[in-house]
Amino acid sequence: MNYTSQNKKNKDDMFRTIGIKNVNELFDVIPKDLRAKKLNIEGEKTEQELLNYFSNIASKNKTLVSFRGAGIYDHYIPSLVTEVIGRSEFWTAYTPYQAEASQGTLQTIFEYQSLICAITGLDTSNASLYDGATAAAEAILLSLRVSNRNTILISQALHPEYIQTIKTYLGNSNVKIVIINVSPNGSIKESSVEAVMNDDVAAVIIQSPNYFGIVEDMHALSYVVKRKKSLFIAVINPLSLGIFQAPSEYNADIAVGEGQVLGSHMGFGGVTFGFMAAKKELKWKMPGRIVGQTVDKNNERGFVLTLQSREQHIRREKATSNICTNASLNALAACVFLSGWGDYGFKNLAEVNMSKARYAFDRIKLLDGFSIKFENKIFFNEFVIKTQKSIKRMNEVLLKNNILGPLDLSDMNEFLKNCVLFCVTEQRTKLEIDNLIKILSEI
Amino acid sequence: MEKLLNELPSSDIPAYNIKSDVGIDVKIPESLRRNLALGLPSIAESDLLRHFTNLSRENYALSTGFYPLGSCTMKYNPLINERISKNEAFTLIHPYQPIESVQGTLEIMYEFGRDLCELTGMDYFSLQQAAGAHGEFAGLLMIAEYFKSVNQVRTKIIVPDSAHGTNPSSAFFAGFDIVHLESEVDGSISPRKLKEILTKEVAAIMLTVPNTLGVFEKSILEISKIVHENGSLLYYDGANLNALMGIVRPGDMGFDIMHINLHKTFAAPHGGGGPGSGPVGVKAFLEPFLPIPRIEKNKYSEFVLNYKKSESIGRLKAFFGNFLIILRSYIYIKALGAEGLKNVSERAVLNANYMLARFKNRINVPAGDRCMHEFVLSLKLLLKNNIRTLDVSKRLLDYGFYAPTIYFPLIVEEAMMIEPTETESKEMLDDFIDVLIKIIFEEAVLEPQKLNEAPINMNIKRLNEVEAARKPILRWK
Amino acid sequence: MINIPQNLKYTKTHEWVKIDGNRAKIGITDFAQHEITDIVHVELPEMYRQVKKSQSVSVIESVKSAFDIYTPLSGKIIGVNNAVLENPEIVNQSPYENGYLFLIEFIDTKELDDLLDVDDYKKLI
Repeated sequence: MNYTSQNKKNKDDMFRTIGIKNVNELFDVIPKDLRAKKLNIEGEKTEQELLNYFSNIASKNKTLVSFRGAGIYDHYIPSLVTEVIGRSEFWTAYTPYQAEASQGTLQTIFEYQSLICAITGLDTSNASLYDGATAAAEAILLSLRVSNRNTILISQALHPEYIQTIKTYLGNSNVKIVIINVSPNGSIKESSVEAVMNDDVAAVIIQSPNYFGIVEDMHALSYVVKRKKSLFIAVINPLSLGIFQAPSEYNADIAVGEGQVLGSHMGFGGVTFGFMAAKKELKWKMPGRIVGQTVDKNNERGFVLTLQSREQHIRREKATSNICTNASLNALAACVFLSGWGDYGFKNLAEVNMSKARYAFDRIKLLDGFSIKFENKIFFNEFVIKTQKSIKRMNEVLLKNNILGPLDLSDMNEFLKNCVLFCVTEQRTKLEIDNLIKILSEI
Repeated sequence: MEKLLNELPSSDIPAYNIKSDVGIDVKIPESLRRNLALGLPSIAESDLLRHFTNLSRENYALSTGFYPLGSCTMKYNPLINERISKNEAFTLIHPYQPIESVQGTLEIMYEFGRDLCELTGMDYFSLQQAAGAHGEFAGLLMIAEYFKSVNQVRTKIIVPDSAHGTNPSSAFFAGFDIVHLESEVDGSISPRKLKEILTKEVAAIMLTVPNTLGVFEKSILEISKIVHENGSLLYYDGANLNALMGIVRPGDMGFDIMHINLHKTFAAPHGGGGPGSGPVGVKAFLEPFLPIPRIEKNKYSEFVLNYKKSESIGRLKAFFGNFLIILRSYIYIKALGAEGLKNVSERAVLNANYMLARFKNRINVPAGDRCMHEFVLSLKLLLKNNIRTLDVSKRLLDYGFYAPTIYFPLIVEEAMMIEPTETESKEMLDDFIDVLIKIIFEEAVLEPQKLNEAPINMNIKRLNEVEAARKPILRWK
Repeated sequence: MINIPQNLKYTKTHEWVKIDGNRAKIGITDFAQHEITDIVHVELPEMYRQVKKSQSVSVIESVKSAFDIYTPLSGKIIGVNNAVLENPEIVNQSPYENGYLFLIEFIDTKELDDLLDVDDYKKLI
């Protein structure tokens, strides 16, 4: 393929205007001995060849009926989401620096920010970040920035890849990271937080529903954290907010999380987006783009990127973050996703998730060789089951049946040996769940 | 103007609905239950479709016009990339699927990394980073780890004053102190000035080649020699790699480590601000420090994920990188091949030089008569008419053009940075040039007030950014 | 016309200083607010913080830039002008009165010698 416009006469005219005989002259400034030899990169395919080439590669992937979550989830994506983000006026648009020519992107981001504020109950949202893990890391950097403190407490039940990301982000700093141990019932106890709290703690970061699917008592944990005037950072699944407490209800200072569940495909875990909402007093310290409402010369409402002096293109090394991206198209998907449920529908979506997970849980726990790991705990759409069966064999059998079985947690630590993490979203039908249970019962 | 979502007609039956075929079984203790009202809009699908369609029409986009955006490289995004990347075998894949069920995805990422190595002269690439600045951050953390591994204390990064803001910012967040290097009038580096600040504390210098004024760094080999003799590393900001494909490779110029922005060089869509992808390439000696997991090919020609890298900086995000963006760029490479990629750079440089040739005798060009893929004009001559580059850029909107990048690089007064890219025709370039010349040499003289007030033909007039920041309204009431 | 009051001292970085015993009130000059243009945000030092001469203690921001404000004297911050946090435009409107930034109890009178008087400051700008 060739996506350049080729016209011999035009090219000759351009050469003449520049005063060159051939295009190579334009590269004379590059030393001859530095020039690249002919590259070995296969290509030059037509559209038709590309379709065939990539459908062949695609056939080496397998799409499965998923009972696995752990950070990326198979959820329903309404047709409207696909339609809107498929409009080239959105996906081929640039970052909206020229506000007057970018009102579409700017207004949808403003709407996105408003919707994120609505579900979290917090006052301020940015225009989105890379993903849930980096949003968690950025929240921690924010807390360090505002507090002059140097210790971070992290829940052991935070997604392990989020913990790893945070550690990487702080890799070349002297910030002290303390892990708050998870109790044998799968959640974080107030006393475990209290035991490690001190005046140097900038922030405590807790995930709920946590990595094991359990909804934490955020209210109680937040209370302990606030006594030392540390910031409370909640890592949340936004879909769970239809029924579980909003971060503002337990006085969280910052809420972050993975936005994939709001209208983005799983896509092997990329592309997604991270959201960040915070109390209003933190707005000048937030990372990333923020859209604000204003008026034009005729006093008509319009939208612009604002509070820009926080950002790297102005503040350079004194910026609140080095980020120069918002996952705009995925945030747009979230905006469209959140706009069509109404309160009842959004709550119902969460309830269907919880009910289907409960339905599966109630049946799996009764199977021979399977048992409950964490007793009497409230979970959203994921739960841990202990099993005497070979997890490897179980998942092999499920895979043969085109099912993505639960995630094996055995390697995490001794305590989670022989444990698996199931996920059941609204996408799974009763038939699929019953079939899963039937196969499990026969293993 | 289009209403806000919360002002649209409310419908008792909203657009989306879901049913449970297992009933509803939800018991939540009071202490965990949400009491706060959600306040989400409840709108019919037809009204939502019109709302978002109307908003899309308030956007300038590549599919509607020309983006002459210097440094941002808004080149055409081929449609076949979109079509293939919507294949369910790519979109409906869970990141924790068994490795044997994602061989197609891993093959693409592996082969894409190999092609990037060939194109850049690097030995290994990591694709995990979600954007260019994320790549810079990863690269700088790797530099820090490298010096720790050889027991050297090097705490400083040199950044030229013509660099992108992300350079000093990424270096700061990676734990370094920034040393600023004053660049020459054309944005190039003086080896003499570099030597003066190149102490044993310097870990690396970050360079953009061609630089942000569109000039190839002619002293690059001398710079490379000086830097390496000092034991420091040379970092390549790949923002402008699109000028050099198949012509010269960063690895051959002496760079040790680099990042690429996939939307700039490899036609991944910009999406109105993202998502992006920022692969990081290194020479072999830095391979141990790359983020984990690494995608490797084993002796049975299967693709595997290797987490066992004890010296790695760790991971930069959850999962494996923005695969659906990477896929689009890989399709682009397979559409073009080695010759096609070289043609892209040649054509981008030709287009830029043609535009420059038409401007250079009339408007101040601080970096001289020739450029690579972009060039910078200084519109300081208009200050005497009380017209700023901002005014000119807003007036361009009235003529149906997006405005070039303005006030960057910082070293050029009243900068206007133009990058045509390879995918624009001569006719389009001529139209733009004619309009810009008309604005600068006719309107600015005869009707300066028009420029100060621009845009005047758009649906929305010039927006008040000062009030937006002084009294921030960041959500609807 | 740039206003430069006679009764104040000045710095090379465009702060003004009004001395009253061992206390000093500090703000930015009329020239500085003109150069910065529309001020949209101000960050003030923490109360009772000990600061050193030439340390960056405050930030003034316009839409497209940010400027560090340096304390010309060492000592303790004993007052900040909270009004400019909510209404940063006051710094534009009244840089020498309502738009001051902070009060400091200074500890080293020798540092006063480094301040500029009106004529020196006029030459500077």
